[in-house]
Amino acid sequence: MVEIKNLSKYYGRNQALKGIDFEIRDHEILGFLGPNGAGKSTTMNIIAGYLPSTGGTVIVNGFDITEQAAEAKKCIGYLPEIPPVYPDMRVEEYLHFVAGLKGVPKKERRAQVEKSMDRLRIADMRRRLIRNLSKGYKQRVGFAQALLGNPKILILDEPTVGLDPTQVMEVRNLILDLKKEHSVIFSSHILAEVSAVCERVVIINKGEIIAIDTIENLERNMMSDTVLNLTAEGDKEKITRLLKDIQGVIGITEVKQISENRNLFQIELESEKIRNEIMSVLMNNQCSIVEMSLAKLNLEQVFLKLTQTQKKSSLEQLIDETKKANPYDQEE
Amino acid sequence: MFSLYKKELQSFFFSPFAYILTALFMLIFSFSFIRSIAIMDSNVLKFSFPNIFYNNFFYFIFIIPILTMRSFADERRGGTEVLLLTSPLSVTKIVLAKFLSIITVFAVMMLASLFFPIFAAAKGQVMWSSLICAYLGFFLWGLVCIAVGMLLSSLTGNAIISAILGEIIMEGALLADNLGGTALVNAYPKLNSLISWISMQRRFIYFSQGMFRLEDLIFFLSAAAVVICWNIIAIEKRRWSHS
Repeated sequence: MVEIKNLSKYYGRNQALKGIDFEIRDHEILGFLGPNGAGKSTTMNIIAGYLPSTGGTVIVNGFDITEQAAEAKKCIGYLPEIPPVYPDMRVEEYLHFVAGLKGVPKKERRAQVEKSMDRLRIADMRRRLIRNLSKGYKQRVGFAQALLGNPKILILDEPTVGLDPTQVMEVRNLILDLKKEHSVIFSSHILAEVSAVCERVVIINKGEIIAIDTIENLERNMMSDTVLNLTAEGDKEKITRLLKDIQGVIGITEVKQISENRNLFQIELESEKIRNEIMSVLMNNQCSIVEMSLAKLNLEQVFLKLTQTQKKSSLEQLIDETKKANPYDQEE
Repeated sequence: MFSLYKKELQSFFFSPFAYILTALFMLIFSFSFIRSIAIMDSNVLKFSFPNIFYNNFFYFIFIIPILTMRSFADERRGGTEVLLLTSPLSVTKIVLAKFLSIITVFAVMMLASLFFPIFAAAKGQVMWSSLICAYLGFFLWGLVCIAVGMLLSSLTGNAIISAILGEIIMEGALLADNLGGTALVNAYPKLNSLISWISMQRRFIYFSQGMFRLEDLIFFLSAAAVVICWNIIAIEKRRWSHS
């Protein structure tokens, strides 16, 4: 549906995108994940045709976004980070205007506007001036605008920012619902949201793609063979001692009390073969095992692991940069 | 393109904006109308409107930047520029739609000002040939000013700054004639001919005498076209160097 090949973008000398490749398939929800300033909005702006790229191509539904811009743009509904609404217009009037702007034939405009207002539940706000709407409603009006013209691809840049938890749930459900008719790419820096809605994720950091995979695969790849979560019943001290005596156990990294007699131990092993031994030792000492599983990193941890390949955290880097920029500050 | 044109017109006419500006236009016109009646010689047989236009250029040009100042600056500030540029409309069509809508407002103002010549014609005699040419000349001059105002609005991205700059530039174009008359400029004939070529006042003299020259028509239309093209290029350029 959308192919992005070797896309790069310079802002002056600053390289915001360093040649990224990925695709958006038919009827899929693609999550676009990255910390602030990673290049998410830049990429989305380029796909939507707002910014031209410095290098590389974007093919939308068979049309090149720079060569056949009008055709390509007709296939796209775009909700930017700040909803592009006119504060002086009424909701319905605004949506009619956008439908016209997108070239929706006059006969279909009313039906399409009604449909998108129903979907976003803003039909009872139709006569209100957009300036008087709350942030959440403005966001919804922006969303309704993106649905007009039945675009095949929806690009949503952080669609849930500034919404309250119920509205976030509604938007999530809406995105899941939209999958039937559209391909959706949506960006976020909230991981729970991405894992709740998306099938595949593209993780981007500092203008480079660091992972493209399904959520399950990402988690599986990040599963550790050598860290074990063990929940056992029995005396805490006794079990700790028993575990430490087993050959091959490097250490116990964490102990959490779950209930009076139950504790969760996180154990680091030399290899996964020691699992059986742990089991038999505990059984022989009348400690029953409630649960034993390989430690799984959730998306949050995966994300941190992937993005923290750099030696310094972004905060440290920022401090360094400011020091370089204002060398006099230190002397004062 | 029509949708955008319609929306722009609505933003003028569904708010007090166009009405207040038209009222101001009429007010300025009526002041000079009354004044020119008051100072009229008793031996004048026909009423000549171009003088009113001529005297009022300095006031009229304050109105045009106010009309154009919001055209692109507000889109940039409100983040709605994204909506326009990601729509299937080309930049050329966006600029033209906005240009046409402002021209429409300007034309409505001029229509409203027809009240004065009609009133004068009912009570006395009017030199129609010079009146029609003066209107034409004023309208053509207005096209160029509107194009310049839109360009400034798009370049600066700030409504107030673009309005002030627009006034300076348009005032400068009017005063070019006075500059052309100075001894310094007269010493360089080529410079003098260049200044008189761009001088609005000198061209307006022909219109006010009831002369409609093809040269002037082409001058104003091509000047407006050049500035509009500049605007289109400026918007495209900003997209490329966006930061």
